[in-house]
Amino acid sequence: MPINSGLAQLSEDLLLFTIVVYALAMLAYACDFAFGRQRADEPATARAPELVTAGAVAAGTAAAGTAAAGTAVAGGAAATAPVTGRAGKAAAGGAAGRPGDDSGARPPAALFAGSTPRRAGVWVRTALALTIIGLTAHVAGILARGISEHRVPWGNMYEFVAAITCMAVIVLVAISLRYKAYYIGLFVLLPVVVALGVAVTVIYTPAGSLVPALQSYWIAIHVTAMIIASGLFIVGAITTSMYLVADRHERRVAAGQPSKTAGIMLHLPRPLVLDRLSYRTILLAFPVWTFGVMAGAIWADQAWGRYWGWDPKETWSFITWVVYAGFLHARATAGWRGRKAAYIQLAGFSCLMFNLVGINLWVTGLHSYAGLG
Amino acid sequence: MTELRTPPSVQAGPARLPAPGALRVILGWWRWAWRQLTSMRTALVLLFMLAMASVPGSVIPQQGIDPAAVAQYYTAHPALAPIMARLSLFNVFAAPWFAAIYLLLFLSLAGCVLPRTFRLVGSARQLPPRAPRNLARLPLAASYQTALTPAEALESAAGLLSGKRFRLRTGEGWVAAEKGYLREVGNLLFHIALLALLGSVGIGGIFGYKADRLLVSGQSFGDTVTALDQFRPGRLVTPGDLQPFSITLNSFAAHYVTSGSTRGEPSSFDASLLYSDRPGAPEHRYLLQVNHPLQVDGVRVYLIGHGYAPVFRITDGAGRVVFDSPVPFIPVEQSGLTSEGVIKVPDADPDQLGFAGVFLPTAIDINGRLQSAFPAALLPRVSLVSYAGNLGLNNGQPQSVYELVTTHMRRLPVAPRPLAPGQSMKLPDHAGTLTFTGYRQWASLAITYDPGQLPALISGILAIAGLLLSFAVRRRRVFVRAAAGADGTTVVHLGGLARSDAAGGFETEFGSLTAEITQSHDGSQLTGPADRASDGPASRDAAAAFDSAAAAGHDAAADGDEPPASGGHPAPDLSGEPPGSRTDSEPSLRNDPGE
Repeated sequence: MPINSGLAQLSEDLLLFTIVVYALAMLAYACDFAFGRQRADEPATARAPELVTAGAVAAGTAAAGTAAAGTAVAGGAAATAPVTGRAGKAAAGGAAGRPGDDSGARPPAALFAGSTPRRAGVWVRTALALTIIGLTAHVAGILARGISEHRVPWGNMYEFVAAITCMAVIVLVAISLRYKAYYIGLFVLLPVVVALGVAVTVIYTPAGSLVPALQSYWIAIHVTAMIIASGLFIVGAITTSMYLVADRHERRVAAGQPSKTAGIMLHLPRPLVLDRLSYRTILLAFPVWTFGVMAGAIWADQAWGRYWGWDPKETWSFITWVVYAGFLHARATAGWRGRKAAYIQLAGFSCLMFNLVGINLWVTGLHSYAGLG
Repeated sequence: MTELRTPPSVQAGPARLPAPGALRVILGWWRWAWRQLTSMRTALVLLFMLAMASVPGSVIPQQGIDPAAVAQYYTAHPALAPIMARLSLFNVFAAPWFAAIYLLLFLSLAGCVLPRTFRLVGSARQLPPRAPRNLARLPLAASYQTALTPAEALESAAGLLSGKRFRLRTGEGWVAAEKGYLREVGNLLFHIALLALLGSVGIGGIFGYKADRLLVSGQSFGDTVTALDQFRPGRLVTPGDLQPFSITLNSFAAHYVTSGSTRGEPSSFDASLLYSDRPGAPEHRYLLQVNHPLQVDGVRVYLIGHGYAPVFRITDGAGRVVFDSPVPFIPVEQSGLTSEGVIKVPDADPDQLGFAGVFLPTAIDINGRLQSAFPAALLPRVSLVSYAGNLGLNNGQPQSVYELVTTHMRRLPVAPRPLAPGQSMKLPDHAGTLTFTGYRQWASLAITYDPGQLPALISGILAIAGLLLSFAVRRRRVFVRAAAGADGTTVVHLGGLARSDAAGGFETEFGSLTAEITQSHDGSQLTGPADRASDGPASRDAAAAFDSAAAAGHDAAADGDEPPASGGHPAPDLSGEPPGSRTDSEPSLRNDPGE
């Protein structure tokens, strides 16, 4: 079937629009950091419940929601134990407390530093709205490309980069809405904008059909899984980098040393929150990646007559898998948790990126579909 | 997994091993080595070594993937290449050192996983531990007052927890509940499935085989060793094990994109086959395409390559037709499918004839040089260099059909002129005539038999299932204590402890559990927890009973030797309460006046 060039053009225009809107969203996130309310000037103790909130929202149960809400309005201490105690109270008593009617009352907003149930500030709301508008255009652009080509639009590196950045922004929006973790917006959108910019300029490939080796329904399974996992890994790597910065800051402060990152830290949550956020994305990404590698093996068996052949792309997806598996094990091992595990995660991410960029550009193999010949 | 740095002599103490001195030392070392090997630290190091060891396999050309690139490497680096070959760097994934790493890793895995499996099976009916004395010291704690008697309160809490499928244990004034045993099941399933996956790969390597066969359209072959171009059997495969099917290539068609930026890229390959399961059996048709292998008699046949086979008719000096058949030419580039090949005519008189040439599917003249502009045969031309003399076929040296040995041949002075189909070329000195009568296409087929395939697939599915299970399920304990309070009411204490909850989330469940239990004790009154510190030694003890966190694999839980209260255990990564938050204590949380 011939390529629908009108739709292909629309796709390109939509992606350009996406980049502009993401850049604006980035600006808004930056403005939130610059002009938005700071968080760390509130007592450190007020910061812990965000974990609970995160958990509460994650669980999504009505009871949990009540618990969190109860805690939120009850105000007061941070440790988890009383929180749950009061959650019980809120639920049992059936009457949510009002701000300020509790001992040690603080405005509820103060409680959820970094991941606020307090209304997001105007900059954050602007940024979030822009992100969602950009994401809509992004998804529409990818869809238009797919329709114009009559196939899943992940057949070359340009399309793949467009897809993984889209997935990263989906993860960003999901985390923002679910965990109120608005602070990652700037740091996720920055690489996304750069990658999309490179995609539409350097590695741009016009819409086209697939070579016979890619003409299989497995492309929809294998590559989709890889895209989802990659998007999650990207956000995981960003949050883990933020964790390293935050952790370093906290250590320096604890040691009474000056910290260069004190300014930005005013807007970031405690390291633990970032660490957990990152860990959760990896917990999601790793099984998807595992599935993607296995789906790829099944496809390779269909196409090439062997399910594993140590093709460079296969080898690096295996290396990536091994390093992330190492990360998961490191987190469970005394002496490896925390910073060391975070570095291992970043090593895994480097492998992922090398597989995407290095193998596509410099190594020839059966997976040479980048379309950059 | 054990964090073990104790010298071996301590491990093999006399009380445990009443063996003579030397034996005891050897056993001690053995035990120490085994513990080292199966330790998490070793497993981690082996994992990273495996990752590192894979890297050269993707950077250095590999014999099994691209033999031509390896040959090229030998020419480019004549001094270095033999050394690298000795180090198996051209065959990394079959190298002894690579095998050593993954075998050690899997041994370490087995040494960790198998004992844990036995322990898991053994603990199938094991009850949760007794409730700690002071629940407020657990990472999660809550308490409230109720009008119910302690027994009633406990019964109601136990009923609620049991309804949520917690495993229960009750005692004097307490209820202990545990849930999430499937986590360990999933974890073990994942690792055992990985071992099974390696086994499946091994089975395929031992009992399977791979073979290649190039087939010009119109030709057929039977699956016997002599009819195969390349036969790579597994260790225990004999030629007699080959399935006796036969395949005829009826026709082959390739289609290419004719316009746009991807012009010249293939859009489809169709090989029309006739095959029969065994000699004499009825023939079946099959349209063989990439991604659509043919299954015949447990063997799979793949379309892995294609090209052109120009057909030549050659008469020798005596006027006899000494050659009339297609000659497969091998593509040397993909965008125009320029192909090279040789013709050997051993029967020609007076001299044997040989030709080396190029086939251009769509020949165009670019600055006086003929090139192929498109992979389809739109304007096919053949350009040949002719030789006469001795082909050297009988000197005992094996020769490739794609290579002409010209050491005992002389080049014939024929003006190089590209031939169109139907055109002839007269050789000088009455050596004969060559006619390019036309061309056919060939397809190369890969034939694979891999009995490890299905086991590998099942192992893979089980591994993912285990992974999901171990990630999704959280192992956690909830304790309830109820006692009569001073004012006649009953004080109920709740405590919660989650293992390997580094991602957080148990707080929520504990919160809602607390809410539900409180609600079920209608009319109860809430009191604040007395103490929520969890840095104290008491909580450390309680936590230690739970072992350390484990995301996957070798985990501290595997080490059952240590007593529960051992201080050597790391504090579990539980709710991860930041230390700072604990300083903000707000012990009294009495009811608001308004409630």
